[in-house]
Amino acid sequence: MSTAMTTGRAPGTRAYLQLGIIWALLLTVPAWLPMLGGYTAIAGRVLVFALAAMSFNMLLGFTGVMSFGHAAYFGLGAYGAGLTLKYVAASTPLAILAGTLLGGIAGTLFGLLLVRRRGVYFAMVTIAFGQVCFYIAYKWDSFTGGYDGLRGFLRAPIDLGFTKIDIAGNETLFYFFVLLVFGLAVGLQALILASPFGRTLLAIRENERRARFLGLPVERHIWLSFSISCFFTALAGTLYALLNNFADPLGLNYVMSGNIVMITVMGGMRTFWGPLVGAVLFVMLQDYVSSMTTNWMFFVGTVFVAVVLFFPRGLMGMLQKRSGA
Amino acid sequence: MTDRIRLTTRRRTFLAATAAVGGLQLSSPFIIKARGETPVKIGFIDPITGSLSALAVSEVESAKWTVAQMNKKGGILGRPVELLIEDSANDTGTGVQKAHKLIERDKVDMIMGDVNSGIAYAIMGVTSDKKVFHIVPGGHTDPITGKDCKWNTFRTCNTTAMDAAAVTGELVKRFGKKWFFITPDYAYGQTLQANFVKNLTALGGTWQGDMLPIANTDFSATLIKAKAFKPDVLLNNMGGAAQINCMKQFVQFGMNKEMALGGALFEIESIRSVPKEAQTGWWTMEWYWNQPNVPHVKEFVDAISPAIGGRKPTARHWMAYVSLHAARLAAEKAKSLDAVKMAHALAGLELPPEVALMPGKIQYRAGDHQLMSDIFVGQVHPPGPGGPDDLFTIEATVPGEKAAGPAEATGCKISWPS
Repeated sequence: MSTAMTTGRAPGTRAYLQLGIIWALLLTVPAWLPMLGGYTAIAGRVLVFALAAMSFNMLLGFTGVMSFGHAAYFGLGAYGAGLTLKYVAASTPLAILAGTLLGGIAGTLFGLLLVRRRGVYFAMVTIAFGQVCFYIAYKWDSFTGGYDGLRGFLRAPIDLGFTKIDIAGNETLFYFFVLLVFGLAVGLQALILASPFGRTLLAIRENERRARFLGLPVERHIWLSFSISCFFTALAGTLYALLNNFADPLGLNYVMSGNIVMITVMGGMRTFWGPLVGAVLFVMLQDYVSSMTTNWMFFVGTVFVAVVLFFPRGLMGMLQKRSGA
Repeated sequence: MTDRIRLTTRRRTFLAATAAVGGLQLSSPFIIKARGETPVKIGFIDPITGSLSALAVSEVESAKWTVAQMNKKGGILGRPVELLIEDSANDTGTGVQKAHKLIERDKVDMIMGDVNSGIAYAIMGVTSDKKVFHIVPGGHTDPITGKDCKWNTFRTCNTTAMDAAAVTGELVKRFGKKWFFITPDYAYGQTLQANFVKNLTALGGTWQGDMLPIANTDFSATLIKAKAFKPDVLLNNMGGAAQINCMKQFVQFGMNKEMALGGALFEIESIRSVPKEAQTGWWTMEWYWNQPNVPHVKEFVDAISPAIGGRKPTARHWMAYVSLHAARLAAEKAKSLDAVKMAHALAGLELPPEVALMPGKIQYRAGDHQLMSDIFVGQVHPPGPGGPDDLFTIEATVPGEKAAGPAEATGCKISWPS
């Protein structure tokens, strides 16, 4: 099964090759992207959405539970980071920490309420919570900036004591900063998924009743999985706020949740790297096609429908199947 | 897996159809290319999709026409102008991303946009950071040329404060001082209502009101509340599709017989899409096509009309037209495309009458970079003898300076880069 290699158990040479290609491409983005007519800020956007979708995929692809409200944690991360930079201190690491904690803890607490729900009920309750967060950000004008969004903060250069890394003014440096955070986060995700705990999540996904009969505390594990997923999604949200120097309530909206689901499904929800491929496709489609036609949403939708109809395992899943992994 | 076999033939046709439709989309011209020399690149960001699309489309079609005309007359500084249009999709993140794209990849010389105040605001963050000259043709929220004003940003459309100040006096004079507000709950609506309230209470009036979500569709609860309050005037501050829904329901409830209706903006694009009964009330227009005594207006209207489907241009067409010509004038006065030089050149520059298309002498004033355009207060009515776009009668013209008050009072302090 493809999951075996992607979660790190006895990875074959093919897995190393795949990993090598992905990282080689990511590390050399500033060199080749401008030649293809891209720009560095869009690569940052791809990484942010990829991280959000990969975190979401821990839940959907590896635990088998569908959340339709992940934008809530993404947006809370963004607001957490923005509010910290604006009101507390101009420190990028502090902003990331605060945003991640805000989104993650909110998800952890909320997870307690929803672990007993399954299927469509689980999804519905997650939407509801997402919309609650959206309306709080939307209505609390004096604190969050309301519908216009939170402005008036800038990502700060990172002070390492002996030297300053100017991620505020230098787009390329900022991309590498995002890539570093992305790398650490997905590395941690791979470790979690390869751990015994990760294996139990797969067991729950494949057959929840059987997992229960084997003595696994199913609810607690789903809760943990949800909570971990929220922490990582919030981390992606903080990076989004830093990327835009801006946080807006639409980042908390169910539309954003839908985008995260779409990215994951397009890329391949049973594969570890699938959401990254999905994010590349989604962001590129959105960016390039919308410059050419106002009907760009039609194309994004068409591609999505085509993927769901013809490659139900997503683009990455299809690639792996073709090559007989 | 048996499904897959059944799907194969359909998939072929499906893909072919997709490709065909796609090809058609791509073939239409979106970027206006001019000839020779390095073009002056202007990035134009507007919400061409989403709830403000009607307004954005007017701006964009006018921008295309204006640039085409400009290129016929030698472009900017003798160089052809290239217009790069991007859709912000009425989403702030997308708008910011598009601003980055235009500045970093396409290396545009200046940016225009956005109809959505929130996005305009966010884009200002990018343009001021990157030191790119920026004109906001049509985003109304006050802080853009108020407390958050920037050296590189100019605004063509009015502030909410200007619109509110211009219409309040007329409404009080004609109908009375007891008002009810229906206001969208975001920065634009809040500042607009606050400005109305300030002007109204200064005249000794009383008021009640409801703040509703920006894309509200059902106004029955609010309208019942308004009916019970028995105001002299109901102020509909909603925008876009929500405003239209509110107007329709207002008329359905028969309330148009009980109270006067008014507000700051009821744009031609919106008036066109409501039923005849809802084409009513006292409003401000930021520009109107029928100004018989003002030179050059008729020429402009006759020239642009064929390019926009034979209709009369709206205030949105005018905003894009003025913004682009202002950029040209600034570049020509500065003899440069340098953002700082252009911004210094445009501040306080009086626009010539063929650009201004207004009775007064107008300029982007130096204090807050806000265009001091005349404001037309008047009545909206169903199409009159002048054709389907004869929808408004100007009753009073308020000079922009009078409605806006002094620049210092807006809270704007422009700090120039060293």
